[in-house]
Amino acid sequence: MSQPVVVQGLTKVFFDDARGEIRAVDGVDFSCQAGEIFGLLGANGAGKTTTLRMIATVLAPTAGTALVMGHDVQREAEQARRALGFYSATTALYPRLTARETLEFFARINGVPAAAVRARVDELVARFDLGEYADTRVDKLSTGMKQKVSIARTLAHDPPVLVFDEPTVGLDVLNALEMQRTIRQLRDEGKAILFSTHIMSEAERLCDRIAIIHRGRIHACDTLAALREATGQHYLEDIFVYHVERAEEQGEAGL
Amino acid sequence: MRPVRRLFEGLWTIYRRELRAALREKGIVVNSIVIPLVLYPFLLWAVSTGIAFVMGQTEGFTSRVAVIGAGPLHRPFLRMLETNHKVEVREHLPLATALAALRAGELDAVVEILPAAEGGVVPGEFALRVTVDEAKERSRTARERLDRASERYRSEWLAREARARGVTAADWQGFSIRSRNVSSAREMGQFLLGLLLPMLFVIMVAVGCFYPAVDATAGERERNTWETTMTLAVPRFAVVAAKYLSVATFGGVAGILNVAAMTASMGMIFAPLFAEGGEEVQFRIPLAAVPVLLLGALLLALFVAAGMMIFASFARTFKEGQSMVTPFYLLILLPVMFLQVPGLEFSLALSFVPVVNVTMMVREALSGSFHWPQIGVTVGVSAALVLACLGLAARILAFEDVVMGSFGGSLGMFVKTRLLARRGRGAAGEGAR
Repeated sequence: MSQPVVVQGLTKVFFDDARGEIRAVDGVDFSCQAGEIFGLLGANGAGKTTTLRMIATVLAPTAGTALVMGHDVQREAEQARRALGFYSATTALYPRLTARETLEFFARINGVPAAAVRARVDELVARFDLGEYADTRVDKLSTGMKQKVSIARTLAHDPPVLVFDEPTVGLDVLNALEMQRTIRQLRDEGKAILFSTHIMSEAERLCDRIAIIHRGRIHACDTLAALREATGQHYLEDIFVYHVERAEEQGEAGL
Repeated sequence: MRPVRRLFEGLWTIYRRELRAALREKGIVVNSIVIPLVLYPFLLWAVSTGIAFVMGQTEGFTSRVAVIGAGPLHRPFLRMLETNHKVEVREHLPLATALAALRAGELDAVVEILPAAEGGVVPGEFALRVTVDEAKERSRTARERLDRASERYRSEWLAREARARGVTAADWQGFSIRSRNVSSAREMGQFLLGLLLPMLFVIMVAVGCFYPAVDATAGERERNTWETTMTLAVPRFAVVAAKYLSVATFGGVAGILNVAAMTASMGMIFAPLFAEGGEEVQFRIPLAAVPVLLLGALLLALFVAAGMMIFASFARTFKEGQSMVTPFYLLILLPVMFLQVPGLEFSLALSFVPVVNVTMMVREALSGSFHWPQIGVTVGVSAALVLACLGLAARILAFEDVVMGSFGGSLGMFVKTRLLARRGRGAAGEGAR
């Protein structure tokens, strides 16, 4: 069976009236298997979010391809969207719906058969312990509860691919740990998970493979053990700095 | 599942979510439902109550009237005035003093009984000259009271003189003018509805669309739910169409609710007032006008919703959206002012003018007349306008920086930098799906 996510030569160029052409993502290649957490590690503005937005079909690639469960994100955007769940700090919940209405809406819109919607919603309410708050409007929920509803809505249609773009940004320690625990569970259930972060410890703890992205390019992509071996550095922070410095040197040398 | 079915199911699901969410927003409920239903009927009631109160106050005044030159011959006229307890007659004042008192507001009217002008053929012939100060409400009221009394006195005088000559008063008068109104009570009501409702109808459709349009575009960005919506597993067309239809629904509903509420309240408030004046007026929308009214609401709402969403789609916050939509809102209200021009008819030429054509169509329908060629042109022009707006919307949505909210300008800037000046490099930010 083909890999759930296959990205080849993915490129995104923005035009800015003041700055001209900006290559936010520049020929990125990677893949993600079922039951794997694939991490994109990079500083702010490195191109993580743009890459994940292209995979989630929010942005159109300038060049290259991305396949989600075999569906090209440009030509078969709708099918690709149905095969993935996208979670990020900028994908907020509809504040005027209740938690249950939110889950029903996402289940329906993402293709869960009408007859199965209620059962699926009940399942998610039970899984994320939302029972007490299921009929409360989202804007009245605490941050922790909103986070649970957000993850639940990402899973509403039980997609094989999940994209988490900096999911712990803005969360307190306990909620961040809860988020990490959930992501691990989902990996264990066989989901292919794309995960972006700029927090080294998070990537170290969670990711099965890590891609270090800098100025729109992936400079290393492997398991943590292999990255350690290749760089001779133990801590991910040092590994990251090693690759970024090399990338900067290569950039200066015009390579 | 077939793609077309998926498309419509997706559209329906998003449409219902948009309506549900909008109905839970106080601002939208107030502007799109409560105001059309309550505000203008309330204003109508408040104004008519205010007028009735002022009229009541004026009616309560005693009119101070100086009568000069009555003499013994016209004592009956004085008695007639005195039987009205709201008229206080003052006699024996010199004319100059009476006129000075009138100007000073100490008198409300001066009545002079004058001998007939030279050449009078009937003995005892006379004329009444009533002098009032039209700038004073009390004085105008005094004139109305005097008019009634003097008309009665004149009729009695004519009848008496006619009897003395062995003829009837009508024969004696020789030439009289009588008017008749062939309009039925219902037709009069329809005419009055047609005068007032179309203007409010346009205003209410615009008000009804305003908040939902901003909420569905700029509001989504402000709440950070825009990207969530962009990742829904339906074609982007379904998302945009669902939002558009929900905004148009609010506009159409606001227009229809207002027409219904105004018709009901005019019936309750105006009909009794007309009845007091001896006229019977029925405020009812003719059944045949209902389809035209619904068509008008649909056409206007579709156009206004499209226009407002286009303007609001460049905003990143609700406030920004409001200020971007306001010029369009004022622009569509501008032609409506011309509807008050007397004698304006629903001509073929007028049926080519957007907004005015729909309003005229509604006005004519409320009055019970239907000009089918003009209605046909109106439908065609409105449909073309809506299609043009949707075409522009499709062009705008092709630019992902606009879709994602990173384009830092308004519609004007977009047209200038993206549509008119596309030079070699291709349009920046183009490529959203």
